[in-house]
Amino acid sequence: MRNIEKYRNAFINVLDLEEDEVCEDLALGVTREWDSIGHMTLISEIEDVFDVSLDSELITEFDSYLSGMELLKRLGVDFINE
Amino acid sequence: MSFISIEFLLFLAIIVFTYYLIPHRLRWILLLVASYVFYAILSIQFIPLLLASTAFTYFTGIIIEKQQIRKQKKKVMLVGISVLLFFLGWFKYFNFVNESLRAIAKYMDWNYTVPYQEIVLPLAISFYTFQAVSYLVDIYYGKQKAERHYGYFSIYFAFFPQLVAGPIERAKKLLPQFKVEQKFNYENLTYGMKRIAWGFFKKTLIADRLAPIVSSVFDNPNPTGSQIVLATILFSIQLFADFSACSDIAIGCARMLGINLTENFKQPHFAVSISDFWSRWHITLSTWLRDYIFVPLCKGKKKRSEIYLAIVITFLVSGIWHGAAWTFVLWGLIHGFYRVFGDYTKHFRGKMASFIHLDRSPVLHKWMKIAITFLLVCFSRVFFRSDSVTHAFENAQLFLTINSWRPSGIVKAFEIFSLLDLVIFIFFFIIVQIFQYIERKNVSTWEWLSQRSIFARFAFYIFIIVSVLIFGVSGEGFVYGGF
Repeated sequence: MRNIEKYRNAFINVLDLEEDEVCEDLALGVTREWDSIGHMTLISEIEDVFDVSLDSELITEFDSYLSGMELLKRLGVDFINE
Repeated sequence: MSFISIEFLLFLAIIVFTYYLIPHRLRWILLLVASYVFYAILSIQFIPLLLASTAFTYFTGIIIEKQQIRKQKKKVMLVGISVLLFFLGWFKYFNFVNESLRAIAKYMDWNYTVPYQEIVLPLAISFYTFQAVSYLVDIYYGKQKAERHYGYFSIYFAFFPQLVAGPIERAKKLLPQFKVEQKFNYENLTYGMKRIAWGFFKKTLIADRLAPIVSSVFDNPNPTGSQIVLATILFSIQLFADFSACSDIAIGCARMLGINLTENFKQPHFAVSISDFWSRWHITLSTWLRDYIFVPLCKGKKKRSEIYLAIVITFLVSGIWHGAAWTFVLWGLIHGFYRVFGDYTKHFRGKMASFIHLDRSPVLHKWMKIAITFLLVCFSRVFFRSDSVTHAFENAQLFLTINSWRPSGIVKAFEIFSLLDLVIFIFFFIIVQIFQYIERKNVSTWEWLSQRSIFARFAFYIFIIVSVLIFGVSGEGFVYGGF
């Protein structure tokens, strides 16, 4: 499975979102599923799926679908050339 | 030497004057000596403990950094934290655990012989221990380099403006500021003085004026329900005025030396939910608990129920940090429950608001949320303020009784004030509210003031000073100084 699919699946599985709800506009606090509690469960899933560790600063930085991807790219997750 | 004293202001003036007079390379010595002198005046018997904790944390940090293997790093960090927590536990919690075990043994009819120990709580131990723990954890995670300059490190541990009651600072914020040469800056100096004056204003005209009135109810064996309601609300005002004043003075003192400390309050009594409240009240403790307790507890947790448990544990730690008593444990648990219940019922409450068309009046909705949050916080403070669990439950029952909220009863409860005290309190409380209102409309009231005419500005400054001198009263230190 490609990284982008794994990333999308994390949102779908943990936040109980429909596939079409996972889009680039998705952000923390915008949908009722992605609230502060849901955020922590999403972080756990992302950490497991990509084998990374996010500290509290990164957790705060991860506040949208796109910022999450940027952050994972910085941690070595390749979303383009895989 | 309390913050609220002429001696402290003279002490500060001498330090600030000397600080800008001597070369930068000698300033760390001045700050360190000043910090130890300040601590020694308050609590000389615990200077050795402060020195030992500083040395221990300093060397443990270096040892953690020197380890090549991650497991080893972790081991050293855990040993370091355990030692620091052992001292905190011994001084702060020994008798709490001992007395709790004695009560259990008595209930179970067991033989328990460990005697009560006369242990005095070392001043500021909860604050500097938390700073030390964050320092070691940050080194382990590579977010902080172990400081090699023992002098700078010691100031981080004992910096006199924030030593007694915070803000709880991180090394990566504070240490670089000590190392950079802080040039004399007129703005910093005047801003610092204004913050200190505002701290004196809140402490002497609100907090310490309310303290004996609140105590007269909580120390009364038979208070009326309305008195408990009124005293609890007043205690909330007192506690905010007291602690935020302490932070104002700390921030002001540090700013006069060119050092920026973290803001600890953002008008918490205007929070619209409990989670919002904790992002506005004692912010440096809340973020500490989030980073070093809550986030690690959430690792690997993918169910909401597991996150809920992490929340409750975090608030439990918060409660125990505040004081070694079951009342604080219960206070922490109540906030944990609030937070979980608030999250669990969020959608239902949203639907209800929509059903009764409350969402069509956002201003009314917001103020209702503020009022409910404030009352929930007040209820929890019945436990925070009561001197025993039995009294806490009695007072909580009174607080929750509908009769206690009868307007006539509440009006009668105002008899706990003398007429003069009431007038003075209402007047200065309104001043603080106007100050906060401007703050809510603008970024900073001080900035807003700086745009007024020189006459208006100085009239306000003189008003603050004269009010403190004429109407200010000084109590027994700061509430959080006892934690």
